[in-house]
Amino acid sequence: MNQNENNFEDLKRLLKLKQHEVPPPGYFNHFSGQVISRIRAGEAGGSQNYTESLQPNAPWLMSFFRIFETRPGLIGGFATSLCLLLLLVVVFSDRPDGTSKNLLAVSEPTAAAASSVASMTAPALVAAPDSSGIVASTNPVTSLQPVATLFGQPASATLFQPASFAPVGR
Amino acid sequence: MIMSETVPIADANTPAGMLEGDLVRRARKGDLGAYDELVKRYQQRIYATIYHMTANHDDANDLAQDSFIKAYQALKSFKGGSSFYTWLYRIAVNKTINFLKQRKNKHHFSLNDLDFNTEHNPDLVALISDKTPFREAGLTELQKKLNEALMKLSEPHRMVVVLHDVQGQSHEEIAEVMDCNIGTVRSRLFYARRQLQGYLAEYAKPA
Repeated sequence: MNQNENNFEDLKRLLKLKQHEVPPPGYFNHFSGQVISRIRAGEAGGSQNYTESLQPNAPWLMSFFRIFETRPGLIGGFATSLCLLLLLVVVFSDRPDGTSKNLLAVSEPTAAAASSVASMTAPALVAAPDSSGIVASTNPVTSLQPVATLFGQPASATLFQPASFAPVGR
Repeated sequence: MIMSETVPIADANTPAGMLEGDLVRRARKGDLGAYDELVKRYQQRIYATIYHMTANHDDANDLAQDSFIKAYQALKSFKGGSSFYTWLYRIAVNKTINFLKQRKNKHHFSLNDLDFNTEHNPDLVALISDKTPFREAGLTELQKKLNEALMKLSEPHRMVVVLHDVQGQSHEEIAEVMDCNIGTVRSRLFYARRQLQGYLAEYAKPA
């Protein structure tokens, strides 16, 4: 071993040149300050990044991300399938297909029923639309139907007596 | 009558006068003043090790700062099984080796200047006076060739040479820092020196 050490004497002396390489003057005067500033900035802005903060709350999401880290090829596949899905949604939402017609067909009777109810209460409001298509009226409601008729009871079966202001005995 | 002498010592209540263990305990509780003192104590050695590994001042600056920041964030996991210095060194060494592996063989030198004591170093003076190539080559050129030769070594071999022959650490300390046994350190050191001698054949001939 000593022979080996002797063999490397020149090399060891040469390596001492490295000890004379020094950073710019005053470099270490600010070094610790910079480190502390970065630590403070990290504490102020949250020392953990967003994905690290997910760890305690959603570990399954972190393990999902880790799959992508270990298999980068999956990221491309996942992104492509997402894009395709989005494209399909856009294409089928724009197409006037039977689904939307069916929805209209279902909604038509409902609208008719609504208009019949409205005609019972305020016929003036649901009068046939004029050419302008605007229906508006400021007339007072002229015919109020008894509430009981709305619930299937005959109009005669009123629950109130008509008031009479004639003097008693006339 | 014994008169007590007043010796100017650092106040034990200030960070500068505290022991390493006390500083670590206070830093773990979030005392940045204590951690600032720890950074000041070890900044030169940590920076120098990283710089000798990367041969680039800017990279060394970034990695040294990152190492101190990571150590602060991981202080709670520091069990105290080794000294704080050894633990910190291990963080810096791992960070540097990972960085160099990612950078592969793309070496971009940004060498620091040699200090004014270089020409008065007896070892270097002896070399310059003994060997003809040293007289012809300036010290700056020699510095460049030495760094180029070091960069040809693998990261673990370069680390062992830097820690032992440049930083002056013992085999035991290196084994602890690099998390390997002493035999591995010795064999790596021997192999690395032999490689270096081959790269610098005209400057460092075997006796």
